[in-house]
Amino acid sequence: MTQTVDEAVWAILHEALRLYQDSPRATSWLRHHIGRFDSPLRIAVAGRPGSGKSTVVNAVVGDEVAPIEVDGPVFTWYQDGPQPRATVYMRQGPPGEPPIVRVGRRMDIDLSGFESGGMTRIVVDWPARVLRDATLIDTPPIADEISEQIAAEADALLYLTPQVHVMDVRYLQSTQDHPVARAAPVNSIMVLSRADEVGGGRIDSLSTAKQISRRYRRDARIRGLCQNVVAVSGLIGQAGRTMPEEEYQSLAALAAAPRAQTEELLLTADRFTRSEHVLPVSTRRELADRLGMVGIRLATTLIRQGADSRTKLASELVQRSGLNELRDSIGRLFVDRREVLKARSALLGLDVVLRMEPRPGAAKLVTDVERVLAGAHEFHELRLLGGLLSGRTRLPEELGLEAQRLIGGYGTDLDARLGFDREPTQAEVQNAIYDALARWREQSENPMLGSAERDAARVVVRSCEAMLI
Amino acid sequence: MTAATWLEVLDQTIGASVVHHRPDLAERLRAKRAQLLDPQIRVLVIGEANQGKSQLVNALVSASVCAVGDDVTTVAPTIVRYAEKPAATQLLHDGTGAEPQRMPLPVDQATNRGGDAVTTEVRIPRKILAAGLVIIDTPAIGNLHQLRAQSTFSALSGADAVLLATDASHELSATELELLRHVRRSCPTILVALTKIDLTTRWRQIADRNREHLSKAGIPAAVVPVSSALRLRAVAKDDEALNVESGFPELIERLRTDVLPVASNPSSRQNFAAMTGTALAELVGQVKKELAARPDDRNSPAVAEYMDAQQKMADLKRRSAKWQNVLNDEMADLIADLEYDLRDRTRRILREVDRAFDEADPAKTWDQFEEWLNENLTEAARTNFDWLIERSWWVADRVAECFPERQDLVPGTVIPSDADLDPGDTERPRLEKFTAGQKVFSGLRGSYGGVLMFGLITSLAGLPLINPISIGAGLALGGKSIGEEGETRLKRRQQLAKSTAQRHVDDFFLRFSKDCKDAARRIQRGLRDHFAELAEQLQQRVADAASAAQRSAQAELSARQRRDQELRQALTQLRELHGQITRIAGALPASSRNPLEISA
Ligand SMILES: Nc1nc2c(ncn2[C@@H]2O[C@H](COP(=O)(O)OP(=O)(O)OP(=O)(O)O)[C@@H](O)[C@H]2O)c(=O)[nH]1
Ligand SMILES: Nc1nc2c(ncn2[C@@H]2O[C@H](COP(=O)(O)OP(=O)(O)OP(=O)(O)O)[C@@H](O)[C@H]2O)c(=O)[nH]1
Ligand SMILES: [Mg+2]
Ligand SMILES: [Mg+2]
Repeated sequence: MTQTVDEAVWAILHEALRLYQDSPRATSWLRHHIGRFDSPLRIAVAGRPGSGKSTVVNAVVGDEVAPIEVDGPVFTWYQDGPQPRATVYMRQGPPGEPPIVRVGRRMDIDLSGFESGGMTRIVVDWPARVLRDATLIDTPPIADEISEQIAAEADALLYLTPQVHVMDVRYLQSTQDHPVARAAPVNSIMVLSRADEVGGGRIDSLSTAKQISRRYRRDARIRGLCQNVVAVSGLIGQAGRTMPEEEYQSLAALAAAPRAQTEELLLTADRFTRSEHVLPVSTRRELADRLGMVGIRLATTLIRQGADSRTKLASELVQRSGLNELRDSIGRLFVDRREVLKARSALLGLDVVLRMEPRPGAAKLVTDVERVLAGAHEFHELRLLGGLLSGRTRLPEELGLEAQRLIGGYGTDLDARLGFDREPTQAEVQNAIYDALARWREQSENPMLGSAERDAARVVVRSCEAMLI
Repeated sequence: MTAATWLEVLDQTIGASVVHHRPDLAERLRAKRAQLLDPQIRVLVIGEANQGKSQLVNALVSASVCAVGDDVTTVAPTIVRYAEKPAATQLLHDGTGAEPQRMPLPVDQATNRGGDAVTTEVRIPRKILAAGLVIIDTPAIGNLHQLRAQSTFSALSGADAVLLATDASHELSATELELLRHVRRSCPTILVALTKIDLTTRWRQIADRNREHLSKAGIPAAVVPVSSALRLRAVAKDDEALNVESGFPELIERLRTDVLPVASNPSSRQNFAAMTGTALAELVGQVKKELAARPDDRNSPAVAEYMDAQQKMADLKRRSAKWQNVLNDEMADLIADLEYDLRDRTRRILREVDRAFDEADPAKTWDQFEEWLNENLTEAARTNFDWLIERSWWVADRVAECFPERQDLVPGTVIPSDADLDPGDTERPRLEKFTAGQKVFSGLRGSYGGVLMFGLITSLAGLPLINPISIGAGLALGGKSIGEEGETRLKRRQQLAKSTAQRHVDDFFLRFSKDCKDAARRIQRGLRDHFAELAEQLQQRVADAASAAQRSAQAELSARQRRDQELRQALTQLRELHGQITRIAGALPASSRNPLEISA
């Protein structure tokens, strides 16, 4: 019987625990990793300063939970829990639990009892659907130590950037610069954030941003570094997901006013927040902060076009913000693949022990790790995916796309792998698998392909076989 | 002084350089001449991707001359300058460095260039440009198209001012600040245009934060908030209030007050005067040497020459004591100065080291630090040693002056031209975690416009350049108290790195300064031997000359006198030129303002 990758890794971790039982340091580290292996997937939201990390966290969670304003770099974890609760970890001294409540769609936390600057991590329990699948980590702006900590603590990465900069690419490259990371590549999604700002204020900016993200998806310098590129306006997504009725009413009032007048008012942010108008200045300021100028223009246009209730407007905004696409990608590429991602993290963790405390008895562990990395089909899939994405492995165009799909590049469930966009019948599924299997068996023997390509075809064959079971 | 005069002086100096076989000087002066004659003031609009650079240029000249778009748009520079009639041209470079080929283009197509990476020149009748202002839109810096950024970098050297466009939606990023630090080295004036202020309520805070960032980074640059969208709308609707709201009148005023005076400031002229002066001084020295190398025989009938020879013989004896003193004194001075110079250079390096390791973690940066250190020590050594050589020649000259006749040049073997400059291997401090990073760094060095990237490396620009996983590993294993422990460990590592560097620099100093002293002593001995022999030979020769004089003197005399005459004339002319250029330099500050016209 073949082990799945998580079974194999679980076994190796326990083997290591036995071997290192005399080393308290290694033992606590391994226990930590065993515990982590059984807990939800951790997704870090990372990026340069002001790239919109906290806002995207809110948009994904669906409540205003981020950022928690504190001095110094603090990692904020959002995990599933029945009640709002927070634990603050300090550089010195024991952790504490600050008062925290939910006010509408907002989180209210009182950190006055904690020495500012002394906090290192805040873990928030928050009841939200998405957090059941994965823990989200809002991180401080990327810097040396921050990226180290992200690498050490997260299983997958949402990397945000409003404009793809060489530094972003370098950072993503650096996260793959490790033997284990290379054996199980690409655990990240690139988010072109603040997508509403792309078009210089036009309301079609979000669709333009989508086109740009498609271009980057094909860009040879990007595609090997992430599994997908998604354009998202965190601000508009967050506004859509957390919109209160009064906000809708204010927007509706703007939409109802004569069009020329509203347009004149919305010409600049200054005019909107400073000129005379029936809406109070504070309301207008709040609108500008919550939606941005593009968001307000878009919302009023949508209302004029028939979004005549809060729910309709909210769902239109969410749809356009790119948030649905992002959540879909997180589901298919991270959550569905959590076993491999967590196995990857566990092997990275184990590698630390093996390197920091090498000992003769560990030789077998090292071979075991190598065997899992080299043998587990899930890692083969990841590597092939990485190869196809980056262009290191080249298959004829059509075949390449099909291979990506079959090995789970668009999602690892059966329908995603087989490319059904509707509910297929049992027979259709069977036929599709056998078809694919036959085609790819042929490719794996195809003398016209090079040996690397035939190897790739063999991985696809294995994926098809796995679908039959 | 009128312009013609400095140009004349410059041209005559170029001529003199050619006559006296100094094509190097002539070339340098010619380049300067071209720059001075170009009355244009080049303002380079730079920035990261999508910051509104092109739209800013359009708004400045109230015309759509640059392509504007949502994705990466500008792929080659657009040069906007004045002309009575609108015209557009593509400048096709063939890669040989020759003048580009010019391809005329319909004006209305100038902004539709699609993906062509071809420089475009647009000329339009705008008052703002009439005074010689040239505005250049450039490809974004820092995006993935590094080749395009290269062209921006190469353009930087010729810019009189740089206008950085940065979007008001965010504060200046680490990379933008680094870019400005780089720009500052080559460009006297920097303005920061905070663009797209129509889109955000927060632009005032952002402007203030940016001013803080700039002053912290020591970059003297005004921040001017603008909205190109508003300006273009104001122009279309002829709406003055909107124009004021766009911030452009202020930006243009800034260009007038900050850019024009500096760009047309005589500092560049003074620089030219200094350069010409130096060239002239060199030529004077050269001619003087040539003159001095000729025996001074104003009145040389054969008998006179013979008597002269006798006279000289007596003279030689007297002087022989003198040249030895000069040699000893000068060399003692030289050795002391050399040591001081090297001490000073190494001290400066050590200060840098201290500064670096107050911040940086040696565990991450040692390898490239080591390289830096060795480069700098080698550089210090080279300069120090070059100086030894130069001064030695000078000493030789001084000694030679003690002789009545300058006969032979000091043979090259006396004064070496090269030294062993290898600063040796730094003994690597024995510290944990001295791995990682190398590969990342060498990868970086090869790309991204060289200089800028180096700047980025030294400051790390707030972004990770080191493999975070392998380092993170050690960090994570330490457990909870790691922050604190990491801090003291880091301090210890930094201390250790500092003392290792200190030791290495001290070793280097001792070794190299000893080598230098030895070399200096060898030179001294060499010179002494040389001049002693020379003195002897001279005596002999003077005696021989007395007899030969009668035969040859007569014939030679006339020829010599002719050449002498020429050289003296040349010398007078050069001195004259030097005087003129000094006067021009002195008169410059008064003639500062350039009556350039610009209007909003
Ligand atoms: N227009 C627009 N503004 C955004 C968007 N996302 C964030 N912002 C704004 O940008 C600013 C920073 O947003 P954050 O979400 O706090 O960004 P961050 O990356 O978490 O910032 P740091 O944690 O400080 O690095 C806030 O004023 C947000 O309102 C977006 O999608 N569109
Ligand atoms: N609202 C508004 N939008 C602007 C302004 N300036 C530029 N934009 C928009 O910002 C986007 C980028 O403008 P560009 O001028 O092409 O920016 P760029 O810096 O030249 O971009 P690249 O050449 O691609 O690096 C376009 O969609 C413009 O319409 C402004 O002042 N206000
Ligand atoms: Mg944040
Ligand atoms: Mg542009």
